[in-house]
Amino acid sequence: MKPAVFTRALRKEFKLGWGRGRVLALEGLDLEVQRGEVFGLLGPNGSGKSTAMKMILGLLRPTSGRAEVCGCPAGTLAARRQIGFLPENPYFPAFLSGGELVRYYGKLSGMGGRTLEARVQELLAMVRLGGEAGRRPLRTYSKGMLQRAGLAGALVSDPEIIMLDEPTAGVDPAGSREIRDLIRELKERGKTVIFSSHLLEQVEDVADRVIILHRGQKLREGRLEELLTQTGEWQVRAKGLGETQRRELNAWLIQHGAEVVQEGLPRERLEDYFLRSLPEQERR
Amino acid sequence: MRESWRRIRAVAANTFLEAVRQKVFAVLLIFGLVLLGGANYFAEFSFQEQFKFLKDLGYAAISLTGLLVGLLGAAQLIPAEIERRTILTALCRPLRRWEFVTGKYLGLVSLLSVMLGVMGAVFWAVLRWKETQLIGMEGAGEEVVRAIQAEARDPRLWQAFVLVAAKLFVVSGLAVFFSTLATSTTFVVAMTLMVYLIGHLQSVAREQWLESGEVAGWGLKIFLAAVALLVPDFNLYSLIDEIVAGNAVVWRSTLQVAGYSAAYVGVLLAAAAWLFEGRDL
Repeated sequence: MKPAVFTRALRKEFKLGWGRGRVLALEGLDLEVQRGEVFGLLGPNGSGKSTAMKMILGLLRPTSGRAEVCGCPAGTLAARRQIGFLPENPYFPAFLSGGELVRYYGKLSGMGGRTLEARVQELLAMVRLGGEAGRRPLRTYSKGMLQRAGLAGALVSDPEIIMLDEPTAGVDPAGSREIRDLIRELKERGKTVIFSSHLLEQVEDVADRVIILHRGQKLREGRLEELLTQTGEWQVRAKGLGETQRRELNAWLIQHGAEVVQEGLPRERLEDYFLRSLPEQERR
Repeated sequence: MRESWRRIRAVAANTFLEAVRQKVFAVLLIFGLVLLGGANYFAEFSFQEQFKFLKDLGYAAISLTGLLVGLLGAAQLIPAEIERRTILTALCRPLRRWEFVTGKYLGLVSLLSVMLGVMGAVFWAVLRWKETQLIGMEGAGEEVVRAIQAEARDPRLWQAFVLVAAKLFVVSGLAVFFSTLATSTTFVVAMTLMVYLIGHLQSVAREQWLESGEVAGWGLKIFLAAVALLVPDFNLYSLIDEIVAGNAVVWRSTLQVAGYSAAYVGVLLAAAAWLFEGRDL
C-alpha cells in the first residue's frame, strides 16, 4: 500500500518581486507518512511547516521535487479527494452558519442530497454544534467553536487523511484537550492525521512520529519514544515511602554506583490541574 | 461533468449568498430604485419628452447601479477571499480552479440578474404608472391614448434591457479577470474602470484618427490593433441610446451584440482560469 503522504526533495522558493531576489521556505524535504499514523510537523514560526502542508494540499506549486498523496501527485483532484484540511486560523466565510459551512464544503467535495444532509447533522453533533449552535452565523462563534466547525468541514467527505495546521493555537485548554481527544479518535477510526504545531507538550500527547523543521530544513525525524527516551537513565515513581526508606533508597543507589539525578515529589502538569479544577461538564 | 457542475453551482450559490447578506448591495439597490422612482417627478414637458426623459434616466440608473454592484461584487470575489484566506479552505477540496472562477462569475451574474429583475420590474411599474397618470391628465382622445400606451409599452425596451445586461456581464467578466491577478480590491476596481473607459473611447478615437488621414508607423499600428483586440468595444452598446431616442433597432443587431458579449466573457473567463491556475495561494 502506498504511503499516505510521500515527498522527495520537496523545495519551495518564493520570488520577492521587483528584482529583490528569492526567499527559501523549504529545502529538499523527504517525508513518508504511513496510513493510520498521527504525524506531527514541529518547528518555530517560519520553519516551513505551513509551506510543506500547502504543497501537499496543492495550494502551492513546488519549485522542485515532488509530493504524492496516497500515490497520486499532490494537487490533483484524486489527491485532494483524500484530504480534509483545517487551517491555522478560522479562515471561514463568516456570513455562513456552522451548518451552512459544513454543507458548502460537502458540496465542494461533490456531495449532495440526503447523504450530505445526514453527514452534516452527524458531524455537527460530533463537534457539539448541533441544534441552535449550528444555525448561528460563524461571526458569533468563539475560536474554539470555529475550530470545531472547521473540523466538521474537514471531515465532511470522510477523507483518508486529515491535515490540521496548528489546531490548538489560540484555543483554551479544554478546547485544546478536546481537539487532541478527537485526533486520537480519528486514529482509532484508521485515519491518518498530519498536524503542525509549536506547542510541543500537546504534540507529545498525540503524535506517533514527528519531524522537526527549522528554517526550511529537516533537523530530526522519528518516533516519539525513540526521540525522547533517555536511555542512560532509569525512572521509578513510588507510593508509600517514608522519610527513612527514602534515605535508605538513596544510600543504596549511591552504594551501587548510581548518581541520583532528580528526586522529590512529582508535579502534575498545569493543564491537567486546570482541567481537573473545572466543573465536570465544562471539561469537554 | 455532473459533479463539476455541482461544485460550480455551490461556489456560485455561496457567492450570491455572501453578496445578498452584505448590506452594501441592498443599499446600492435601494439607491437605484430611488433614482428610478425619482425620474418620474422631473419632467414637465410633452408626454413624448417625459417618456424619453424617464427611459433615459431609468436605463442610466439601472446601468450605474449594475456597474457599481458588478465592480464591488467582483472586487470582493477573489482578492477578498485571498486576503481573508477563505480561499485556502475552498481550493484544498476537489475543486478545480477554473470551476472556482466560473462559479464566482456565475454567482455575480446571478446577483446582477436579480438586481436587473427587481429594477426592471420597478421600471416597468413606473412606466405604467406614468401611462395611467398621463392618460388621466390629458383626458385625450383615442389617438393620444394609443400614442401614450405605445411609448409606455414599447417592446424595444426589452432590447435595451438585454443590451444593459450584456454590458454589465462583460464588465463583471473584466472584473473577475483582473481579480485573478490582483491581491487588492482597489487594483481590480481601477483596472476595470480603466478598461471600461478605454472601451468607450476606442471606437471614437479610431474614427477620428481614420478621418484625419494620418499615416501611422508599424509600432503604433500594432499598439492600436492590440487595444482594439483586447479591449471590448463598449460603443456597441450605444444601441441603448438609439432605442431610448425612439429609433428602430432590429433584434438581429441586439442579438449580435449579445453574442459578442458572450464570446468576450468566454475568452475573459478562460484567460482568468489559466492565469489563476498557476497562482500560488
